[in-house]
Amino acid sequence: MPHVDQHLSGDWLEADESVRIRLVANDQELPVEAPPRCTLADALRDNGLKGTRLGCEQGSCGACTVLLDGRPVRSCLMLAVQAEGGRLETVEGLAAGGELHALQRAFHDHGALQCGFCTSGFLMLAAGLLREEPDAGRERIREVLSANLCRCTGGGPILQAVLAAQRELRGGRG
Amino acid sequence: MKPPPFAYRRASSLEEALRLAAEAGEDAKFIAGGQSLMPLLALRLSRPSHLVDINRLQELGGVHQENGALRVGALVRHATLERSPDLDGPWQALREAAALIGHYPIRLRGTFGGSLAHADPAAELPVVSTALQATFIARSASGEREIPVSEFFAGPLMTVLEPGELVVEARFPAPSPGTRSVFEEFSPRAGDFAFAAAAVVLAADDGGRVRNAHIALGGVAAIPVRAHEAEAALEGEVLTGSAAQEAARLAAAGCDPSGDAHASGAYRKELVATLVGRALSRLREER
Amino acid sequence: MTSGYIGVSVERDDLAFLDGTACYVADVDREGQLYARVVRSPVAHARILDIDVAEALAQPGVVAVITAADIPETRIPIRLPMAETPYTHLFLQPPLAREVVRYVGEPVAVVVASDPYLAEDAAELVDVDFDELDVVSDILSATTQGTPLVHAEAGTNIVATVPLGYGDVEAAFARADVVIRDRLRMHRHTAVPMETRGLLAEMDHGTGVLTLWGAAKVKHFTRSALSSMLGIERHRIRLVENHVGGGFGVRGEPYPEDFLVAFLALRLGRPIKWIEDRAEHFVATNHAREQEHDLEIAATADGRLLAFRDRAWCDQGAYVRSQGILPALLPALHLPGPYRWEAFSVETRGVLTNRTPVGTYRGPGMTEATFVRERMLDKLAAELRLDPAELRRRNLIRPGELPFSFEPAPITYESGDFPAGFEHLLDEVGYDDLCKQRQVRRASGEHVGIGFAAYTEIGAIGPFEEARIVPRSDGRFVVHVGVASLGQGVETVLGQIAAEKLGVPMDAVSIDHHDTEKLADGFGAFASRSTTLAGNAVALAAEDLRAKAAARLDVPAGEIRFVQGQVREPSGRTIPLAEVGEGRGRFDKPHPTFSFGAALSLVSIDRETGLVKVLRHAVLHDVGRAVNPELLRRQLAGAASQGIGAALLEELLYDEYGQPQSTIMADYRMPTVEELPDIEVIVEERPNTANPLGVKGGGESGMVGTPAAIANAVADALGVEGARVWRLPLTPDRVREMLRHH
Repeated sequence: MPHVDQHLSGDWLEADESVRIRLVANDQELPVEAPPRCTLADALRDNGLKGTRLGCEQGSCGACTVLLDGRPVRSCLMLAVQAEGGRLETVEGLAAGGELHALQRAFHDHGALQCGFCTSGFLMLAAGLLREEPDAGRERIREVLSANLCRCTGGGPILQAVLAAQRELRGGRG
Repeated sequence: MKPPPFAYRRASSLEEALRLAAEAGEDAKFIAGGQSLMPLLALRLSRPSHLVDINRLQELGGVHQENGALRVGALVRHATLERSPDLDGPWQALREAAALIGHYPIRLRGTFGGSLAHADPAAELPVVSTALQATFIARSASGEREIPVSEFFAGPLMTVLEPGELVVEARFPAPSPGTRSVFEEFSPRAGDFAFAAAAVVLAADDGGRVRNAHIALGGVAAIPVRAHEAEAALEGEVLTGSAAQEAARLAAAGCDPSGDAHASGAYRKELVATLVGRALSRLREER
Repeated sequence: MTSGYIGVSVERDDLAFLDGTACYVADVDREGQLYARVVRSPVAHARILDIDVAEALAQPGVVAVITAADIPETRIPIRLPMAETPYTHLFLQPPLAREVVRYVGEPVAVVVASDPYLAEDAAELVDVDFDELDVVSDILSATTQGTPLVHAEAGTNIVATVPLGYGDVEAAFARADVVIRDRLRMHRHTAVPMETRGLLAEMDHGTGVLTLWGAAKVKHFTRSALSSMLGIERHRIRLVENHVGGGFGVRGEPYPEDFLVAFLALRLGRPIKWIEDRAEHFVATNHAREQEHDLEIAATADGRLLAFRDRAWCDQGAYVRSQGILPALLPALHLPGPYRWEAFSVETRGVLTNRTPVGTYRGPGMTEATFVRERMLDKLAAELRLDPAELRRRNLIRPGELPFSFEPAPITYESGDFPAGFEHLLDEVGYDDLCKQRQVRRASGEHVGIGFAAYTEIGAIGPFEEARIVPRSDGRFVVHVGVASLGQGVETVLGQIAAEKLGVPMDAVSIDHHDTEKLADGFGAFASRSTTLAGNAVALAAEDLRAKAAARLDVPAGEIRFVQGQVREPSGRTIPLAEVGEGRGRFDKPHPTFSFGAALSLVSIDRETGLVKVLRHAVLHDVGRAVNPELLRRQLAGAASQGIGAALLEELLYDEYGQPQSTIMADYRMPTVEELPDIEVIVEERPNTANPLGVKGGGESGMVGTPAAIANAVADALGVEGARVWRLPLTPDRVREMLRHH
C-alpha cells in the first residue's frame, strides 16, 4: 500500500486505491488507510473518533468542526489526505487528564445542549476561537458561533456558555 | 453525499502542480482550501478525474503593496485579508468583503484564488475584484497570461481559465490619490451567499469632487457587473446626498437581475439601490 | 436528599454529549455490515417503464440491488387510530415505488455495497426509464376540475374531509355587526433535526431475532408495523433506541427505509447500515404544515366574537404516511382556540400533491390554526379600532366557565385560567411599557411592531403508557418505559418522579427507554405526552412496588423505606429488595388534555431591505406542574426558536414541476444565534386535575403561538399595509413586496 508522502517522488494516488495517511489527532497517531476521496470527517470517524458528527457533509452545519493546527475547520470540507502531517484536535481530546475543559463545564451549566448532536462542533469551534482570540468581544463570539447550527436550544445558551468559559479561561484578567 | 472517485496528487511546487495538471488532462482540477470545491464534490456536481493539491504551496501566499499597487497571492486565506489592517483607504472594500465570506472556519481555509476560480455570481471577491479592476495572472504548463477581471468570468461557476490553467496572483493597479472603497451586501441570514452585493471605489479630489467611480454589483447577473451609468453620473460631481441617491437609482435601473425561488428579480434590483446608497453614504460619512 | 425531586431543576447528566462518547446510530457498527444507498426518483410524477440494475450490480463492492419486484406487496400502516379511515388506506406508501413514482425523492431501488462511497457510486448507475406524467404541484390545484390525479386508481386527490361544527353558525353570522374574511396560508417547512435519520439492522441467526438500531419516538409501533410488513412475529423483532439527535415529530415514525433495511438484513443475512444524507433528508423525511384557509369571522361592534367559518386545504403530499390524516384533523381541532364562540363550522380537507409526504412537526395543526385565527383577530381588532390585547381579553374563556365543551366537536377544556395566563404574559413583558416604547421608537423613525397570540394545545394523547420498576440486589432501581428520548431530558424528568415516589436518591434510579425487549408496550414520544403518560405510569409503578413491599412486611405502604438493597419498616425488620418482585404501573388517558399558552413578539423592520429582526420574544405555557422547570424552560425556548425560523426564514419550496428548491442547508435557512433573540419563557402552573401528578404537556408549546405572534408583530410594524400579512415566512423579499405596494 502506498503512503501519502510517496507522491512527492512517485505517482498519482489512484482513485479508490487505499493509502496510508499519517494523521495525528489529540497527540496520537491514527492508522488511517483510505482512498484519496475520503473526507477527513470520515477518516476520523472510521478510526474511532466518532465524537465528530456529520450533520450535512456539505459545510453548512458545522457539526463536524475539529481543530487543525489549532484552528477550527469543517472536517467534511477537507480530504483526509490534505490533513496529513497536521495536528488535529477533536472533542475526544478536549478534556485534559480526565478534567473537563472550561467550555464543557460551561455548556453543562448553561443548558447549551439538548440532543447533543451539534455539541462537539460547537465546542471545537469555540475552543479554536478562544485560543486564537482570547479577548474576543460578545459580538465577535456571536458572529463566529453563527457558523454552526443548533436546532434544539436556539443558540442563546451556547453564546452564554462560551462567554462564561471565556471569563473562566481569562481568570483574573477579565 | 460522498465525493466521487478521483486520483490525487499533492504538488510540492508551482511548476510541478502545472505539469501534473497538464499531464492529467482536461478533467483535472486544482484543490486548495477546498471550501468551494468540496461541497460541489459532496453533491457530485463536480466530477474531476484528478485533483492536484496546491494547498501547501508557500510561493502562492502573500499580500504585497508596492508603489501603491497591490498583489494578492492565490493562496491567501480570506481570514488573512480580513485581518490585514493595512488594507484600508483604497483597499478597504477588499478587507470588508473578505470578512463577509461564509463563516469563520470557511474564511480560515478558503483562498482568494479558489473563490475567483469558483466564480459564484454572488460571491464577494469577484465583485470587489471587478470594482478594483484587478488583473489575474494565470499560469499553465505552457506559459503565463494576464486576464483582466472584465474578461475573466464567463458565466455562473464559469471562467475563461483553460484546463490546467491556474490563477496564481491577483494584481490591483495603484489607485489615484484620494481613492477609497467600501463593500456592502445583503443576505437574510448570517454567512449566507448574498442576494445582492456592491463594491464602490471612489477617487475624489481635495474639494470632494469625484474624479472617477467604479461600482461593481454581485448577485444580479451571471457574472459581476459594473454600474456604468451610476459611475458616469458621479464623476465630476461632489458626493452630496442627492448625488448618491441618484447614483444608487441609476445602479438599480441599469441592471436586470433574474429572480429565483429565494429572491425575486424586482427585489434584487431594490437591494442594489439600497446597497449602493449605503456604500456611498458611508464614503460620504467616513471622509 | 431522598424526596422532593418533583418541581426541582435537577441537573441533567449530559457528560456523554460533552466528551463525544454519546452514541448515535451512525456510531454503531456491527461485524460484517454492508451499506445501503437508496435510489430515489428525480421526477415528481412518472410511470416507471423499466429499471436496469445490471451496471450498478457489476460495480466493485456491490452485493445486491433490489427494486419493488424483489419485495412483497406491502404498505406502511397508519399509527394513530384516531386518524384512520378505511378510505385513507388507498393512499398508503409502499417501501419502493411500484409502477408509478409520485414525488421527487421517492425510493425506487436500494443498492447494497461494502462501503458507503461505493454504494453511492453504484446507486448513480441504476438506470430508471420514466414516462413523465402531469404534476399536482400545489394544494389549491389539487382539487380543481381536470387536475391530474396523484393516485389515479383512487379517482380523487382528496384524502379526507374533516367537518367540525358547533352551534348555529348562520344565526350567529346574521347577528354580526362586523364580518371579516381572508385567505391565509401556512407554508411547507419541517423539523430538520441536526442528526439525519439512520438505521442498522442485524439478524441473529442463533436466536432468530432481528435487531434494529436507530429507532426513536414510536418504537413499539414501528415494531408492529415491521412485524406485519415482513411477516415475522413481533417478539422476533427488537428495536433499540440510541442517542437521538433531535426528533421534533419527524424522526422515528416508520418510513420506507425502516422496512427496506430490515428486509435486506433478512434477505442478505448480514447487518445492513443506512445513514440518510442531508440532501435525502430534505426530500425523504416528513414535511409539514402547508395549508391554506379561507376564514370568515363574525363579531359584534363591541368586540365580542360570535362565530367563524373555515374551509381549509391541507397538504398531505404524495402519500398518507403513518400519521394518517392528522395534517387535516389537527388544525380543525385547534381553530376555536381559547375563545368563547357561539358557533363555528370547519371543513378541512387533506389533499394530495406530487411532493414529499407530510407528517407532524412540533406543534402540528395547532401552529397553523393559531396563525390563521390570531392573524384574523388582529385584523378584526384593527377594524374595530380595539387594542388587540383588549379584543382577546373580552373573549378568552373564563375559569368559571370550565370545563368548557364545544360539543359535538371533540374539544373540551378541563382546567386552567386563560385570562390570568394571558395577563401574566402581558405583565411579565411589560405590555403597557412596551407600547410606550413602540411610540418612542416610531417617532424616531424605527419601524417596530408588537404582536401576540393565544392558543390551546392538544397534548397528552393516550391511549396509555406502562412502566415497570425492577429493583436490583445492589439497591438500585431500573425503570422501564415505552416512551422515547429525543434529546430534551425525559430521562431526568422520569428519574425525578421515580426517585420521589420511591423515596430514594436520584442516583439509585436509572431510566431505560432504549429497548422494545424490556417493555411489552409503549406508544412513544409525541404530542407532548411523555411526562404526563409515562410520568404518571412511573408514579403508579412506584406506588405498586411500595405496596408490594409493605404487604410482605405487613405494614402500611407509607411506612416502608428502601435502604441499601433492603426494604425496611420502622421497627427495623427488613427483607431483601430482590424478594419483592417488580412494580408495575399503567396510566390510561382516554381523552387528551388541552392546555393554554400565549406568545408575544416585538420586531423591527428594515424598510429598505425588508429584513425583520426579532427584538424580544416571550412565550408562556400552562404546563400544569413543572417536574423540572429548567429543562422545561429550555424546551420551550428551543421550540420558540424553531417557530421564529418558521415565521421568518424556513421554507421548503417547489417549482411548478414538483422539483424541490430547498434541498441543501444553504437554501433551507434555519436561524443561527445571530438571528435569534434570547427567548423569554414564562411557565404557568395550574395543576391538571385529570392526572395524579397534575401535569400537562409542554414540549412543543413554545412553537405554537410563535409564528402567529411574529406575523402579527410584523403586520403591526408595517402599519396599515400590515393587513396584507397573509402568508409565511416573512422573508425580506415578501416584506419588501408588501411595502412596495403601499
